[in-house]
Amino acid sequence: MEHLLSLLVIVPLVGALVVLLTPNTYAYLYKNIALFSTLLLLALSLYAVYHFNTADAGAFIETSSLQYVEKMEWFRLNLGGLGVIAIDYFVGVDGLNITMVLLSAIVLCIGVLASWNTVEKVKAYFGLYLLLSASVMGCFIALDFFLFYLFFEFMLLPMYFLIGIWGGPRKEYAAIKFFLYTLVGSLFILIVMIGLNQSVYDPIKTAELAGLSTEISIAEVQEQVALGEIAKEQLVKTFHMIFMVDPNNYVPGSLLDRANVSLWMGHPLRSVAFLALFIGFAIKLPAVPFHTWLPDAHVEAPTAISVVLAGILLKIGGYGLIRTAYAIFPDAAFHHGWLIGFLGILAILYGAMNALAQKDLKRLIAYSSVSHMGFVLLGLASMTTEGVSGAIYQMFSHGLIASLLFLLAGVLYDRTGNRYIENYSGLAGIMPVFSIFVGVAFFASLGLPGFSGFIAELFVLIGAFSSASEIGAIPSWMAIVGALGLVLAAAYYLWTFQRMFMGAFWVKEKKWLPSLKDLTIREYLMFVPLIVLIVVFGIFPNLLFQLINHSVDVFVNHLTLWK
Amino acid sequence: MIDVLDILEPKNTHLLLWVLSLLGIPLISFLLSFFAGNQAPGIATLLIFINLLIATTMCFEFWSSETIIKGEWFATAGRQFTYAFYIDKLTLMMSMVVNFIGLMVHLFSVEYMRKDPCISRYFAYLGLFLFSMLLIVLSHDLLFLFVGWELVGLTSYLLIGFWWKKRKATTAANKAFIMNRVGDLGFLTGLMILFAQFQSFDLEVIKSLMIFSEIEQGQWVTSYLYAGVEIFKSVDGRWLSAAGIALFCGAVGKSAQFPLQVWLPDAMEGPTPVSALIHAATMVAAGVYMLARIFVLLDAQALEVVAIVGAVTAFMAAIAALSQFDIKKVLAYSTISQLGYMVMAMGVGAYTASLFHLFTHAFFKAGLFLTAGIIIHQLHHVESNKVSFDPQDMRVMGGLRKHMPYTFAAFLFCAMALVGLPGFTGFLSKDAILLNVAVWADLKGGGFYIPEVLAFMTVVFTSFYTFRMVFLVFFGENRLTRILGDGQITSQIKEGTRMLLIPACLLAILSISWALGLGFDAQDNWLVRALPTPIYLVPISYAAQSLVDVPDDVFKYLHPLVVSISVALALVGIIIAYFAFKPGAKMERRFTERREPVGALGQISFYHWYQDALYQKLFVQLIIWKSKGFDWIDRHMIDAFVVRFGQLQVIIAHIIKWLDRQVVDGLVHGLTLLVGSVGKIGRSMQTGNIQSQVMLSFLFLILLILIFAF
Repeated sequence: MEHLLSLLVIVPLVGALVVLLTPNTYAYLYKNIALFSTLLLLALSLYAVYHFNTADAGAFIETSSLQYVEKMEWFRLNLGGLGVIAIDYFVGVDGLNITMVLLSAIVLCIGVLASWNTVEKVKAYFGLYLLLSASVMGCFIALDFFLFYLFFEFMLLPMYFLIGIWGGPRKEYAAIKFFLYTLVGSLFILIVMIGLNQSVYDPIKTAELAGLSTEISIAEVQEQVALGEIAKEQLVKTFHMIFMVDPNNYVPGSLLDRANVSLWMGHPLRSVAFLALFIGFAIKLPAVPFHTWLPDAHVEAPTAISVVLAGILLKIGGYGLIRTAYAIFPDAAFHHGWLIGFLGILAILYGAMNALAQKDLKRLIAYSSVSHMGFVLLGLASMTTEGVSGAIYQMFSHGLIASLLFLLAGVLYDRTGNRYIENYSGLAGIMPVFSIFVGVAFFASLGLPGFSGFIAELFVLIGAFSSASEIGAIPSWMAIVGALGLVLAAAYYLWTFQRMFMGAFWVKEKKWLPSLKDLTIREYLMFVPLIVLIVVFGIFPNLLFQLINHSVDVFVNHLTLWK
Repeated sequence: MIDVLDILEPKNTHLLLWVLSLLGIPLISFLLSFFAGNQAPGIATLLIFINLLIATTMCFEFWSSETIIKGEWFATAGRQFTYAFYIDKLTLMMSMVVNFIGLMVHLFSVEYMRKDPCISRYFAYLGLFLFSMLLIVLSHDLLFLFVGWELVGLTSYLLIGFWWKKRKATTAANKAFIMNRVGDLGFLTGLMILFAQFQSFDLEVIKSLMIFSEIEQGQWVTSYLYAGVEIFKSVDGRWLSAAGIALFCGAVGKSAQFPLQVWLPDAMEGPTPVSALIHAATMVAAGVYMLARIFVLLDAQALEVVAIVGAVTAFMAAIAALSQFDIKKVLAYSTISQLGYMVMAMGVGAYTASLFHLFTHAFFKAGLFLTAGIIIHQLHHVESNKVSFDPQDMRVMGGLRKHMPYTFAAFLFCAMALVGLPGFTGFLSKDAILLNVAVWADLKGGGFYIPEVLAFMTVVFTSFYTFRMVFLVFFGENRLTRILGDGQITSQIKEGTRMLLIPACLLAILSISWALGLGFDAQDNWLVRALPTPIYLVPISYAAQSLVDVPDDVFKYLHPLVVSISVALALVGIIIAYFAFKPGAKMERRFTERREPVGALGQISFYHWYQDALYQKLFVQLIIWKSKGFDWIDRHMIDAFVVRFGQLQVIIAHIIKWLDRQVVDGLVHGLTLLVGSVGKIGRSMQTGNIQSQVMLSFLFLILLILIFAF
């Protein structure tokens, strides 16, 4: 399995190609091809997790403990006085992205099952779906910023069409809003990426180009560059994310060098760059006040796309924050700790308050997503081991729980075409299993112990609280205020559950009655695995912690060292 | 220096099977019952019986030792998290009581719930409850305790809302869960403070490190090793008090203390056996139990808060119980009041007395609820298509002594224990609490006499509402006849069946002192000896003055006084109740017509100090109103800004388009025109006419000469 990670991208791409080449007379094959491809994806990522060496999975700042690495030069530009730009095909996993790969594979599989009954333009749908799968996977495994950005941007294309063609009544509006909003965010990322590229060199390739001895160590190369002994023309500038993390790889006096004290509108450049990256990923996350594309996109998107959006795409925001913004600019992150912590609790409370007021079930879940992703921000802002572990755990756990919630909302929408809470009452009487599953999902989402969300939120909170005495990034009261979100979550979920599922049976339209049947086998196949996973990760947190522990350790040490 | 990891080493894992079976059997009962259909009652009851046997065996096995069972649960980067169970006399007794009352309630429910179509779900929930309750009882790790804590909250929610078609029931369930969550917010804060200081949730770690923590110049200082790395923590000393108070907030939620107690009366919407098990005997006592487990971590300030909250709760709830019509409501307020006693006892440092009352209360209150359940069940049978009334309302009762003598006997025994008459268990435990409160008040003086006064006043109210209930339910004539004008109906009221009576009577018997082997001395019996007060571990400057240090003489001197006053007060309450509600008394005769009390005091009692109405206005409506406000902001400000921003781009694009067409393109057009016209001029010169050409050349020549010349 030499090219394991590349296969994660290639498999869905090939799947998409096969779908495209299969003639329309075999239309029933499309979903099977998609299912097969995503199942293969799941098998590959399980293989990757199984053979993942947890004992040595630190990475983050050094390439040596990265696993399943594939690296080759893609192309190189000679810019004369500005040096040489080398762009690599560079993929690999550490404790952070292996979990995201696993999560994506699980959610993508379930997403195909959720799309099973798609009837319109099936070929295009599954083709685009597989294209989306490929770019999601690529985004999580890419360690070259250029490559990452490529996948990151490419994701928008299939997503735009999937919402815009198969969505609800206001699909065009939602699709274009989603597209443009994220694109604006990407521009910020693009600018910082170029700035970083101009500031960071690849010591290995520089040594090669400068004709230094092959036995020279990286530290010696860095020393030579620092002393200006290597000509500017011979510096090989890179997009290598891991090299960007090490402050010694910055060209002295370059734009984003730590020693560079020049200001831009009164702020140090690194601080500005961090904020730009932060905004870019905060839009994706989404953090309040950049979140308004999310409810619209969710409400209009078909169920499966909502699932992928909430289950995976939001996580790319959190992932990007950890991998780039925090890892590359720990100093600026520490400096803006208060702001980010505040945005975290703002998202938690604001999202929860908004969820309480929603009438559309899907909008409610969308706002609850905003609230739960606030925990990711709060955990990161704490810059403590517990907080960061909790944030990563929350991304994984929310990926599963939000998928489950959107699927459940989809069940109702499939049957009646209506998701308004006030139009239903006493559903528990005629759809008992469905009601139990909704109950389980609601309790999982409101952070009941025994479900994965509890571990995640607990760790975020204890991390946020101890931050004040450990590192001093955010004050303790933020943890206590953030915990209020748990009470509000209980309020909006239980209230919704009471209104829709309890009491005497009643639905607004008589014509819905015949279609309101309990779950089908296909739906069981989607829900049962998700619920089992949520419970398993709630009771055996070690399953996930042992994957991420080393990386979190290295990451937090790095933050503490360079804050 | 202590290394935390040494304490977290796995130990006694060979004994884990005991704990796992004790926890596992209810869990199996939960899973099996769900799918067992009509077999569920039998299976669940049998499993709980087995569990009671295991608990009994464990008593014999572990009684004289204190055993900690510990092992790794999971690890984050650098920190270990363990599961830990503690087996000492307290946990053994608690698991006995939980299993015993659990068994009684299972037996009772077999008959009580027989006709319910969802009986398997009911027994499944009971299994889940026993599992989570035992998890609280056994765990010696605050995180584990919290897991059990939240899970009992869940089962309480499920069981209160068991009849989910009733709107009142589901609202009560929501209220219970959310109110408990508010309390748990405090619990969580306590966990955060302790974790930030000690890097572990394990109680053994926290206790061992707490001994060595100190207060230096107002800073709470701890230093210890973690995996060989020295850790030094110094935070504001007030966090120590805050930790205690925050953890107590959890107990305030679960044990229904002021200001979060309003959920418990509403919780009576659940099936009555559930009220007996969860909302009287066990779950609501979990808060007190938790306080006992963290007792040594509470500093003086925290303990004062605990004592005052307890006293206020005991008094407020006793007042509320005076005027209720619903028999279960009376019992619910009585439960809150008695829990207030226990909490107050913890606060004054009377650890032993508090737990003593917890155990005695569990039996007699479960007994009261089960007998009330029999009455409700039997009255419910009288209901038919034609006749419908609320079988929980005391206005339809009266004279039941003749119809159900055994029920009456059982109820009377439990009631006398609740009032605290000599010879009954409640007398001893209440006596112990009152004595300790009296000593504590003397020790502290000043405003600290107020809790004592409240505690003694509560005694009068307790005996009054209890015997009001006894007279109204069992004596005189049945009021149904009067209400319905149907003489035949009373003859249909029958004694409960044996399946209902046996559990209730067993619990009634256990309300008598000798049945528990307790004798007559509140200060010296096997129960008290088994639960000695532990010594505070908080830094000395913050520790409360312990009652243990008070010389025995003080207790000996005060004891007769306290006993006589409390018995006298109880008798006063009974006598007032007798004259007010004896058959034929004015208030008894008018009772059927009573709606709600007139007069401010009566209303305060009936509406429980208007707390519910206040919360409804202050929190519920405010939050809903606020959430709508946020929704408006979201739509009309944040999203509108984004949309307007997008529209602005479109407008700008149109302007640019106009500019492009008119200005830029106009410029290009202008330029071409210019070039064209210049060309035209040039062309007009190229006429091919020799004369004009020569003249033009000549003119340009002069022009050039002029330019060069100047």
